[in-house]
Amino acid sequence: MSLDDDIAAWAATVRLTDADADAIFQRIVATPVRSATATPSLAPSWWRSFNAGFAARMVASTSPARRAA
Amino acid sequence: MDRQAEFRRLYEAHRRAVHAYFTGRTGDPDLSADLMQDVFLRVWQHLDKVTDMPDDGQRAWIFTVARNLSIDTGRHQRTQAGTEQALARERAGTAASSAPASVAVIDAERVAIVSDAISRLPEEQRVALTMAAAGSMTSVEIGAAVGVPAGTVRYRLSLARRTLAEALDRYDGHAEES
Repeated sequence: MSLDDDIAAWAATVRLTDADADAIFQRIVATPVRSATATPSLAPSWWRSFNAGFAARMVASTSPARRAA
Repeated sequence: MDRQAEFRRLYEAHRRAVHAYFTGRTGDPDLSADLMQDVFLRVWQHLDKVTDMPDDGQRAWIFTVARNLSIDTGRHQRTQAGTEQALARERAGTAASSAPASVAVIDAERVAIVSDAISRLPEEQRVALTMAAAGSMTSVEIGAAVGVPAGTVRYRLSLARRTLAEALDRYDGHAEES
């Protein structure tokens, strides 16, 4: 055998068989495709409402301490 | 063309090359089949994007995914075990094959020598040789896939072939002595 024959014979031992390749194909196509769902955007007024709520809570939570002082 | 048919076309066009690439990297055809499945699962998930690309772009995208796929520790350990098992299977196959005894045994022994020598090659040579032999790829195609010039691939192939030839020469020398 020539070197090329030896390498070809080795390659045949590591190559994926068509049956195995087809089994992999079937497993993949049975996998549901993740739908590219768009992330819902925030309402334009969200940040203003958040800030207002946050400020109100800060004031409410610190006012007892201010009164105590 | 429907989605599955389009995926089939891509899969058949590139699966041998991807499997050969991983076999070159890991030395384990079974592990390589798992990794190949991971790559094509990503192709399946991003099929619309991939099909919009030209052929060269598709191959580049697929091999970028393949190169970036992490081969974790567990898989690496399986690789080592797989390589041993693959060699053992080859030797068992040698012993089991009856028939024109001596010729078949010598041929199988030569394949085992080649297999052993390939497993000891530096990874870059092993990948190039495996992609050429098992993936039936040209130097240009291998270079595009692994991101090196075709001339570099040819040089790696030449070094790998020289190593294999030396290993077989040693085997032939021993065979003649005995």
